[in-house]
Amino acid sequence: MIKRILIANRGEIAVRIIKACREMGIASIAVYSDDDKQSLHVRHADEAYYLGPSPASESYLSIPKIIDLALKTNADAIHPGYGFLSEKAEFIKAVEDSGIIFIGPSSESVEKMGGKTSARKLMNKHNVPIVPGTIESVSTVPEAVKIAEEIGYPVMIKAAAGGGGKGMRKVNASSELESAFHLASNEALKSFGNQEIYIEKFIEDPKHIEVQIIADKHGNYAHLFERECSVQRRHQKVVEEAPSVSVDHEIREKLTTSALNAAKACGYYNAGTVEFLLDKKKNVYFLEMNTRLQVEHPVTELITGIDIVKEQIRIAAGEKLSFRQEDIRINGHAIECRIYAEDVENNFSPSIGQILHHRLPSGPGIRIDRGIDVLSKVSVYYDPMLSKVIAYGKNRDESIQRMKLALGAYQIVGVITNIHAFRWVLSRESFLNGSFDINFIEKEFMPLLPGKWKEYDAAEYENAVSILAALLKNKESEFKSETPCFSKSNKWIEKRYE
Amino acid sequence: MNEYVVTINEKKKNVLVINENTVKTNGSEIEVELSKVNNYLYLLKIDNKTYEITSQKLAGEKYRFGIDGHSFETAVRTKLKENANEVIKNKTAEHHVTKIISPMPGLVLKIFKNVGETIKENEPIVLLEAMKMENEIRSPKNGIVGEIFLKRGSSVEKDAVILTIE
Repeated sequence: MIKRILIANRGEIAVRIIKACREMGIASIAVYSDDDKQSLHVRHADEAYYLGPSPASESYLSIPKIIDLALKTNADAIHPGYGFLSEKAEFIKAVEDSGIIFIGPSSESVEKMGGKTSARKLMNKHNVPIVPGTIESVSTVPEAVKIAEEIGYPVMIKAAAGGGGKGMRKVNASSELESAFHLASNEALKSFGNQEIYIEKFIEDPKHIEVQIIADKHGNYAHLFERECSVQRRHQKVVEEAPSVSVDHEIREKLTTSALNAAKACGYYNAGTVEFLLDKKKNVYFLEMNTRLQVEHPVTELITGIDIVKEQIRIAAGEKLSFRQEDIRINGHAIECRIYAEDVENNFSPSIGQILHHRLPSGPGIRIDRGIDVLSKVSVYYDPMLSKVIAYGKNRDESIQRMKLALGAYQIVGVITNIHAFRWVLSRESFLNGSFDINFIEKEFMPLLPGKWKEYDAAEYENAVSILAALLKNKESEFKSETPCFSKSNKWIEKRYE
Repeated sequence: MNEYVVTINEKKKNVLVINENTVKTNGSEIEVELSKVNNYLYLLKIDNKTYEITSQKLAGEKYRFGIDGHSFETAVRTKLKENANEVIKNKTAEHHVTKIISPMPGLVLKIFKNVGETIKENEPIVLLEAMKMENEIRSPKNGIVGEIFLKRGSSVEKDAVILTIE
């Protein structure tokens, strides 16, 4: 039985987990840093405890502090959310050792999927298609040349311990290989303390498709279909949807079977996501497994009717999956836009400040998962995602239309957001016809910066805004011109009384 | 009766405020009605259409407005001030002083030059950290560092002047 859950996270995902706890009659325990004293997760939780200073290393990333608090507050379980410590095997091990239930997979499963080459090896063995390339690390340049010739250029050189684009180099021809080899292994050594690298084929303009899987501790596995997450900026997803327009029945079979094989290969339980690349010829390649809840889980919840977070908690408590695979169907279409505090005009640079005004959209099919409200601080210390707008419809068109309406009605004042840029995405031909790939933003949006993407018909709004600006300025100056009347040094007043 | 110049999306619009319910823009007189919902939200009725517009006053004469998911950063000045502004702009251009402005809020990790040192075009001047990312700001031209307004380790707002290059 789980009666008290400590949520080792902040922002919208902490709020999301608190809501699941509420529904299930479980006490929620929030933790917070200095900057988060007034944050929404603190306001919503049954109890909230101070964790440490604002830098994440001293609060949300501190394993001893979090475990200590969980023990002190008599938590039965810890939910890690996503990011922060959620995929750190060391943290999961520490939770397991303290006798507290970790709401997620075992540290063993996470370790198995953590290393790039070890995961590739494991997947290859269990019938999960991997990107063609080496399974072992490559240690010399001549060896690398030979392998690259075999799989054909262009190839990618990647750090075996890698992630986040570090220690990664694209090589177009054999002449570039030697220098790229050394650069990548040096970078790998610097970033990960391990200079091992491996080689794989470079997949040209793929789509990012992932499969939600879920498994209990009794050996029952199920998938909740795919999500399409190809709209990305700086390797970070901004728009996600389910199902994918590019996936037909045959590809879906391939994806979901591979995802289940991947989960079984590492003895996985709880919710997880297996990420794939889908190339132009509809080949599917394993990319990596995210051993945690995903940001974009709501789109899957909407099309399947499964509450993934509640399911996670039940699985952690030792219960069996609450549904059978054959009972789950794709019903309708859902799309999610991640609202970031960032200035798209300024190369997506983050915007900090305090939320001064916040009004949520509503209407048919609209769900908002948010971590902010009026007075919330948006600081330099954390990810700039403020909230997620999720729109559901009976088909893709309807969900897109509902999304447009919702974004139009969403008001946030205090920081610059990316809301206005979604209008461009949601109206773009390649987005609408489904031909977009992971380079969509890079190729189609970035060349339109600054300003040129704002080609939409906004003359009416420009007009309204100009009138408002003039009226506000006029009020201001009226107020100012009144002020001197109360001043004794004002000669005009003196004259009047003469 | 006051005339204003609004700069919006790099266009300039003239708006003549005749009284609080009448303005003249694009050559025609328009009936308007303004209601304040709170400090950051206004209702503006133009003829038979009511707009909900969010508003945030920024530094100087700037405002940021939001309407139906669009965002507009505008500057609004009286006609007189706008004219003066143009003159000042031209003067600074003559002086050849370039202000290096922070494109984002963050922490100053490093300033690569001291006052009086020469700097080449495209050479890094400042290293900023924001949201776990390091961002280099490079010099837009050859010159000499004139004045430095910030110290290493200090936090910086968006649009703040970091230093000048002469």
